[in-house]
Amino acid sequence: MTEAEQRDFIQKKESKILKGNIAAAYAAKSARVQVISAYPITPQTTVVEKLSEFVDGGLMPGTQYIKVESEHSVMASIVGASIAGTRTFTATSGQGLFYMNEMIHWAAGARLPIVTTLASRGPAPPWNIWADYFDVINARDTGWMSAFCSTHQEIYDEILMSYKVTENPDVMLPKFVAYGGFVLSHTSKPVMIEEQDLVDKFLPPLPDEEGWEHIFIDPERPMMHGNLIMPSGFYMEFRMKIHDAMVRAKEKIKKVAEEFERMFGRSYGNGLVQEYKLDGADVGIVIYGDLALQMEQAVDELRDEGYKVGMLKLRYFRPFPEEDIRKAAKKVKVLGVVDRATAFGSPTGGPVSSEVKSTLHNSGIETKVLPMISGLGGREVTLEQQKDQLKILVKMNETGELPDDLLYGTLWHGKLEVE
Amino acid sequence: MKNQKRKVGKKVSENGTIEISFAGRGGQTAVTASKLLAQFVYEKGFRDAIAIPIIGAERRGAPISAFTKISKTQQIKTYDSVVNPDYMVVFDISLLQIPKFKNVIKPKTTLLVNSDKALDRDKLPQIEKIYIIDATGICIEHKFMLSSGPILNIPMLSAFGKITGFYDLNTMEKVIKEEFGDKKADLNIEVARAAFNSVKEG
Repeated sequence: MTEAEQRDFIQKKESKILKGNIAAAYAAKSARVQVISAYPITPQTTVVEKLSEFVDGGLMPGTQYIKVESEHSVMASIVGASIAGTRTFTATSGQGLFYMNEMIHWAAGARLPIVTTLASRGPAPPWNIWADYFDVINARDTGWMSAFCSTHQEIYDEILMSYKVTENPDVMLPKFVAYGGFVLSHTSKPVMIEEQDLVDKFLPPLPDEEGWEHIFIDPERPMMHGNLIMPSGFYMEFRMKIHDAMVRAKEKIKKVAEEFERMFGRSYGNGLVQEYKLDGADVGIVIYGDLALQMEQAVDELRDEGYKVGMLKLRYFRPFPEEDIRKAAKKVKVLGVVDRATAFGSPTGGPVSSEVKSTLHNSGIETKVLPMISGLGGREVTLEQQKDQLKILVKMNETGELPDDLLYGTLWHGKLEVE
Repeated sequence: MKNQKRKVGKKVSENGTIEISFAGRGGQTAVTASKLLAQFVYEKGFRDAIAIPIIGAERRGAPISAFTKISKTQQIKTYDSVVNPDYMVVFDISLLQIPKFKNVIKPKTTLLVNSDKALDRDKLPQIEKIYIIDATGICIEHKFMLSSGPILNIPMLSAFGKITGFYDLNTMEKVIKEEFGDKKADLNIEVARAAFNSVKEG
């Protein structure tokens, strides 16, 4: 057996068929989180349900599980637990995240290394519980980092990597790990749950172990925190430091992904993005979340048919990997950007296509960008539709013309036909 | 408004992926079946499997769909629903009258139906292979019931294992013990054995 085959063999032996939500719960367990605060909301609920089973069954000794009356209180209690010096975890979705909003800002401003998973769902009204990344995108300017997952294994892996990034003393910012509601949260696939010893070796020490580098409140060392700061005080400078930490987190994210690959054998590109068959491609597509995995299949099938297509999977929305976007854009003549989220009134399409366009502005890169919106509110995106999206880009490259039916410059793909 | 047009492209199963569609009614345990099937084949050595339940506002008795895609050799990268099934597992014979289930049956689809008597082929699309299993009868006989009715997934999946050869009773026993514990396993396996031995062409 080659080394790769051996790894495959071990991987298979240790994997279980798990729902995405259950993979998230296992990750929190593997990370030995010490405080979980929970309030149920579809489609996240089974994450915190599974964790309550673990805690109740004695599988997470020492972990405090707090039940509260709302998502606002979830994040308030997590903020308290985190600043008291514990590793914390919670999960939410859509409206739950919106209700948490005030405390979300607090968590980032207080520089707390909280990790929260989102089984992302479309915002109401009308009520919607299915995949749509608007919820995490809506937290764009809160100071939280945000990452998307496209596979079940990635949910587990990304949560582990998250603690190593958030708890880095140079970062000290909270982070969302988002994956599509139902399409990932409730489907089941093989997931490798790693040995506890290995995970312990990979992650930083827990707050009550030696080597914890984050600040925490301690009656023995009184300090003031979160008090009123006058306009002449350091408020502006604190904000600057958050921005600086966020941008510099990119290097830490890359390093953590490298260390993760070395220890567990699973690669996530450079941590921020994953290129797929972009070399030698005429057209490329930037895509994130669940849609990215299926797009790989679409790229494969079109490559087999002779089309020169490739893709860039975006793993992080904040910090935004602008260098990697420019690098990818340089390789192709036409770049599509698929958003499973909206940015109403934006002059540049969806939330991610807006970032891509502003990243390329004034960079001297002439690549044409086509914003696309697809799969809102869990609307099914089939493999055939994704192949069609790529073919639209191929045609744009051949004719030099934009597709016909754009809505203010954006292609809304997979609409219902109205008679 | 009408539904978006759905192009049916090259069959994914040509790439080595086998696609199974489940048709059931809320409470008939078809969603769990889609996941258990993934577990059985994965245990038996398939390279990859994905279970895809279609979740809406289900009620007891309402028609529901679930899919499983399995591959012996390669990673499965799609999350979309199955429109061209290699196998269709029907928990409730009345569902065959409903267009959304009837219309996905293709000439090469193998049908496995919960029924105590042979089906009237004239009322079905032209297909080669139909198997029947009296899963409801087996559940009642073995008192294998929930408050919602018979637990059909175990006998249906056991019959599926028999007709496909993808897994056997030993594999089922191992997974069932891990999933539901030793205590509940005995009756599950008894029911599985009964179904394994009584599935027939119909």
